[in-house]
Amino acid sequence: MSNNLSFKEVFIKGAVIFNPVLVQLVGLCPVVAASTTLKSAVMLSAIACTELIIVCVIASAILKSIPRWARVPLYLVIGLLLICPVLWYIETKTLINLSLGMKIYIPLIAINSVVAVHCEQFAVKNSVRLAFYDAAAVGIGASVIFLLVGTIREILGNSSIGGIALNLPISFKGMLLPFGCLIILGFMAAGLKTFISKRHPEYLEVSAPVAKKKADKAVAEANEPQPVPVEVQITEPVETLKEKIDEPKTDADDIKIKTEAEIDEFLRSLGINLDEKGDGQ
Amino acid sequence: MKMISELILTAFYTVFVQNLVLSSGLGMSEAIRVSTKPGTFGRFAVMISGFSVATSFFCGLIDLVPAETDRSYAVRALIYGAVLAAVYVVVAVLAKFVFRASDNLLGSLGIAALNTLVFAIPHINNSAAYSLAGSVGSGLGAGIAFVVAATLINRGSQLIAENDEIPEAFKGTPAMFFYVAMISLAFAGFTDKNIFG
Repeated sequence: MSNNLSFKEVFIKGAVIFNPVLVQLVGLCPVVAASTTLKSAVMLSAIACTELIIVCVIASAILKSIPRWARVPLYLVIGLLLICPVLWYIETKTLINLSLGMKIYIPLIAINSVVAVHCEQFAVKNSVRLAFYDAAAVGIGASVIFLLVGTIREILGNSSIGGIALNLPISFKGMLLPFGCLIILGFMAAGLKTFISKRHPEYLEVSAPVAKKKADKAVAEANEPQPVPVEVQITEPVETLKEKIDEPKTDADDIKIKTEAEIDEFLRSLGINLDEKGDGQ
Repeated sequence: MKMISELILTAFYTVFVQNLVLSSGLGMSEAIRVSTKPGTFGRFAVMISGFSVATSFFCGLIDLVPAETDRSYAVRALIYGAVLAAVYVVVAVLAKFVFRASDNLLGSLGIAALNTLVFAIPHINNSAAYSLAGSVGSGLGAGIAFVVAATLINRGSQLIAENDEIPEAFKGTPAMFFYVAMISLAFAGFTDKNIFG
């Protein structure tokens, strides 16, 4: 990738066109399982975004020379070293009362697929500046989804927003389950797809499944057996061949080039009448 | 005998009742990614079960050691993460240098070991106060649950691709979200969670 990309270009691609949650389908665990309220969504998005940026920058700066299989567990270790002190601080030094689910899901952000995918596919192949841009864009893109999903789920599932009761006539507890989150994500993905098809149709054509199909087709075409040119070996001298070409055509040669009607006429000229012969039998 | 029955019961519970992929979203991204390659399901079932069992076993042993103070969730996460990373490194080194595994297989090892499903299993075992046999059963069940989810998603993605009646805006990823939501709802039916009300 070119190092001259601006933040705006990287941002549009990372946060919108190839949104990690809605398009790339990575980082689903925190949004599906833990973004059930606005408060939890704010906490998850802040931690996930910060951790992603720091790990991607470290990966781009110092982990490029390490083989892939050894690099991947380092993302987990670095992520945990960043997140666990924050969780410990929240648990012991603040009055924030975390639910059991949040206590389990916050450390899981360290092993989130967004981190591994973006470190491996982008950060270790690009400069620190671009890795920072990409991580920030992807982090913001994911965070916006976390916040929107958290808000909608809290309103529909708990009849409240940010802990403040809205006193809606009905509440739909199913929205707090993964099922509810996936339904919301489905509508959001459809909305994003429509937006991209209208504003940036060029990117829709190179979306992952289409690009894969094109690549598969190209590979299949490349692997198709090509017609092998037939090599004609000329064993006779050129003079002899010239003589053969100039030779008068035989009757057999003439038959080959005649049409069906001409063939009938030719046979009649030889005294053979097919209809009469058939009748005679 | 009691240990074996506890192991099997926990494994069944983890696969069918508490399918962590579909009812909790753990490892869902990986399940969707792996679902496009049905040929690798067996490999992933073995790998995820193996990593989950090994991590659960060692973390269960560490939990048995009495601590002077109550371990906070942060400290526990750090310990479990270190155990998982160590198990992965040992397996990857063996695969790379002893068995001369291909890069493709090493990539699969990374996906199988370092995902939210495997990392969450020791936490869940601890919260549910499973015994060592229960922890191992839970680890085994995690691998099978992952493949059950990937198989269902694979079949769904085939049906979605063949269906021409899906509106253009909902084709592809949006339809996939709705499909996974329906399976997730089906698994929620095995639990006592309240959907309406």
